[in-house]
Amino acid sequence: MTVVPAQQSGGGGGTSGLYDVLELVLDRGLVIDAFVRVSLVGIEILKIDIRVVVASVDTYLRFAEACNRLDLEAGPHRSAGLPDLVGGMSGSGSGDKAGDKAGDKKTKGALSGAAETISGAFGQAREEGQAEPKRTRRAPSRRKEEQE
Amino acid sequence: MSSTYVYGIASADHPALPDGMEGIGEPSRKVRLVEAGPLAAIVSEAPEDLRPKRRDLLAHQNVLSEAGGAGPVLPMRFGSLAPDDEAVAAVLAERADHYLERLRALDGKVEYNVKAQHDEEAVLHRVMSENAEVRTLTEANRQAGGGSHQEKLRLGEMVVAAVQAREAQDAIALRQLLEPTAEAVSTGPDSTGWLANLSFLVDRKAAEHFLAAVETARRDLAHLELKVNGPLPPYSFVEPGPSEPVGTQ
Repeated sequence: MTVVPAQQSGGGGGTSGLYDVLELVLDRGLVIDAFVRVSLVGIEILKIDIRVVVASVDTYLRFAEACNRLDLEAGPHRSAGLPDLVGGMSGSGSGDKAGDKAGDKKTKGALSGAAETISGAFGQAREEGQAEPKRTRRAPSRRKEEQE
Repeated sequence: MSSTYVYGIASADHPALPDGMEGIGEPSRKVRLVEAGPLAAIVSEAPEDLRPKRRDLLAHQNVLSEAGGAGPVLPMRFGSLAPDDEAVAAVLAERADHYLERLRALDGKVEYNVKAQHDEEAVLHRVMSENAEVRTLTEANRQAGGGSHQEKLRLGEMVVAAVQAREAQDAIALRQLLEPTAEAVSTGPDSTGWLANLSFLVDRKAAEHFLAAVETARRDLAHLELKVNGPLPPYSFVEPGPSEPVGTQ
């Protein structure tokens, strides 16, 4: 294909973007009723991959904690687009992450994503004969690395 | 007798497929064309017991990407099986006018999929800066060494509501930034959990304008993490639907 700037993952055949275009391959595209479609059992789990914030007591507590430790001095000058933010979050926040892990996994999924579900679907796919040593999931909180 | 797997539909004058194009299955089935009048279907033999395996999904996508690079192709959803080539040809003949119209409408067009989620720390800064009550409560909890369970819940609930409101606002803002550079927009499959999951139909020649708009969005909505995938076959735009006005219907 003609235009594939560095930031755009996939489309030209790379695997990096596959997980993000999967739903299109599986859920969009022309359907002709005269043709049979293969069963998609095992891939439906993609539907519950939640990255938005879900209101729950666990989420409330987690966000209260996150506000508490927010570095207000850094303020709004900290740009979400800066790569160092990834390091900052995964590094300095490591203690808190451990705390999160002790809690409900679902609360962690509030923003950092439930990519495990994708991994589950693909794990299943792999068991069906796909020996793929490469990790098939990228947790959304690590997704910046993928873009680099 | 094995059935025929259909990848997509193209015009009969679509450039020949490159030799050795690898289709689904293991070993990869050979990709070929089934022609019927003005149309051609891109097909291969279907492996027995076809399932949505990673390798096969990728093969489907790759065949369509490659064929789409040479001329307009209507991408099929993954997993479409016809009993045999004759059945494929019969469908093409029966609905030729419709498919030809779709091919014309999508000529030179590609799909870009954009997904957005909040960068948690950045959106919290944003909420904090916009909401004095949240700031006050956060400060009070800090002074109190984190605050009581009730106080934490109160703060958390307020913050979550504010973040959710931002999710909705940012989804709209993102769409408004990108939509003017696209020919059509389609909302991505439901419940995939992103604050925005949008597909844009973009003229291949105008792709740079679209991508420039994406960069603007990255800058203006810096608390969002955007994932952009494209150019893709126009999966989301093959059928004109009520919520997806496409081209000339």
